[in-house]
Amino acid sequence: MLKNVLIANRGEIACRIIRTLRRLGIQSTAVYHFADRGAPHVAAADYAVELTAEVPTAAYLDVAQLLAAARSAGADAIHPGYGFLAENAGFAAAVEDAGLVFIGPQPEVIRLMGDKIISREFAVAQGVPVAPSCKQEGSLEDFVAGATAIGFPLLIKAAAGGGGKGMSIVRSADELPARAATASSEALRYFADGRVYAERYVERPRHIEVQVFGDGQGHVVHLFERECSVQRRFQKIIEESPAPNLPAALRDRICTAAVQLAAAANYRNAGTVEFILAPDGAFYFLEMNTRLQVEHPVTECVTGLDLVELQLRLAGGEPFSLAQSDITQTGHAFECRLCAEQPEHDFRPATGRVMRLREPAGEGLRFDGGLREGLAITAAFDSMLAKLIAHGGDRQESAARMRDALQELVLLGVDHNADYLGRIFAHRAFLAGQLHTGFVVEHAAALAAPTLDPTQRAAVLIAAVLGTDEFQRLAYDCPEPHASIGHWRN
Amino acid sequence: MPSILTLDGAPAELDVTARRPLLTLQVDGQAYTVEELPADEDGARTLLINGVPYTVWRTREGDRVHVKLDDAYYSVGYQEAVVAAAQGGNAGNEIRADMPGMVVEVMASLEAEVNAGDALLVIESMKMQITIAAPRAGVVESLHVERNGSFQKGALLLSLRALAE
Repeated sequence: MLKNVLIANRGEIACRIIRTLRRLGIQSTAVYHFADRGAPHVAAADYAVELTAEVPTAAYLDVAQLLAAARSAGADAIHPGYGFLAENAGFAAAVEDAGLVFIGPQPEVIRLMGDKIISREFAVAQGVPVAPSCKQEGSLEDFVAGATAIGFPLLIKAAAGGGGKGMSIVRSADELPARAATASSEALRYFADGRVYAERYVERPRHIEVQVFGDGQGHVVHLFERECSVQRRFQKIIEESPAPNLPAALRDRICTAAVQLAAAANYRNAGTVEFILAPDGAFYFLEMNTRLQVEHPVTECVTGLDLVELQLRLAGGEPFSLAQSDITQTGHAFECRLCAEQPEHDFRPATGRVMRLREPAGEGLRFDGGLREGLAITAAFDSMLAKLIAHGGDRQESAARMRDALQELVLLGVDHNADYLGRIFAHRAFLAGQLHTGFVVEHAAALAAPTLDPTQRAAVLIAAVLGTDEFQRLAYDCPEPHASIGHWRN
Repeated sequence: MPSILTLDGAPAELDVTARRPLLTLQVDGQAYTVEELPADEDGARTLLINGVPYTVWRTREGDRVHVKLDDAYYSVGYQEAVVAAAQGGNAGNEIRADMPGMVVEVMASLEAEVNAGDALLVIESMKMQITIAAPRAGVVESLHVERNGSFQKGALLLSLRALAE
């Protein structure tokens, strides 16, 4: 068993990992940049080590400082969380070279799956279906010719990246050269690798992914699928398990393909195989994420398993003995990503300060956050504030719990998407499970904030103005003669 | 003297017109009676406006009041009357950065005429690319950023002036 785990991360995921460490009696070491010194993950951990860097995010990417922090705190393992160095093969190798346990897959597997082109070739070799595609091998001109041959629409993206960076849909041959050039320059800027690739773009695709877990010696199981089709700007905002309206036979084929791929890579620890599902039931391998996913809680809800616990036990040297038949799916779970943003302004990120926070609580609810009142929400980090997870007996019950939880939530001081998420959970097409990755665009008008009628608008303004001391004085503390004048005027 | 509030970019005037028997506020010329019940231990309060109950959470931060009214959130700008009067009618001409970031692309050019909604700049903040569109028709009077340049929160990015009549 591990004794002390350093979490090379921050925010909600650091807090979430610390919770399981505490339950298992393993000590936790947090790291933080000065900007995060008051953050909940620092307070929650047994030890905390400050990392220095001019830019806050750079602190969490500094391999040498992280290893030094692990040594000074006496940590025997490092959990990377998601983002930052979680899918950096060099980091995983450096952790192992330092004599520590990296809680994740083998460095060579991270490298294999981290390259979109190489991982697709690997998938093809394992008989896992991939969408017709074209990769840039030589000049951008050759790439354009090859991509045109696949036919339109096409999805163009960076060969080295993820997270929607440098991704675009091209619908005709005449716009391709310019869009390819833009994608290549974005790829160069984000990933220091200008290679791009194109694949057949599936209209109204669904994003279905499979949680897998392997022991690194060929034993791999799946923990069923997640549907992550509700996205904005190519980033997920609502995830659920099981996927609605997915025939059992098709679900089994997708899960089997995921296990096949992971087993062929001798996959170790938790990972996720992502697929695009076409309306006709064809599915294509998208990529494999070699880490814990943001949306892992929905899988935990329906399987009753703690994925972080599984990760820690395996990393601590315990044999992974869970058989596929031991894993079952019970009920239905949703996750909402609560983000600091303005949905009405194209989901532009927002900054502010958490002035008032009431976390929803109740049966089947889970709030994974790293928030507290007074915490500044800055542009230094990702805009995700917290995750709200609801589990119920079926999709309808789970959705009802999520709606109630979104209403119960109070988060004042920074613009966020809670109202918007609430409108999605009230939308007929969403409740019917008619999902595809263009859902929020297709239903943009219905999901827009309703226009206030004059009475509602007045109510908001009155509620606001009474929140100021100045107006409170004017309204209640005015000397009598003035008050009387006010009365007469009426 | 009325207080000036701003909701969704539109200003409104609020004033007290009566305190008894019920507090009466005038909002953009329309009168509303207001009864405020004390907040519960969680901080939620019930506001009766013309007798209709609303559940309100609110917190003030400088010149903004953040409000949750029933199920929806609002951010309301608040200025005391004196401050409001001192500021001219330049709103919408200056485009400032909401947060620090960098410039990905500059579509606007000096002295160019633009229509409301025309893309002026593409900026990147918090890993997201955002297109800045003209809030109204006008002429690009000044341009304070260039491609790949960075800017701080509140920085003036671009200013417009009205089209000549």
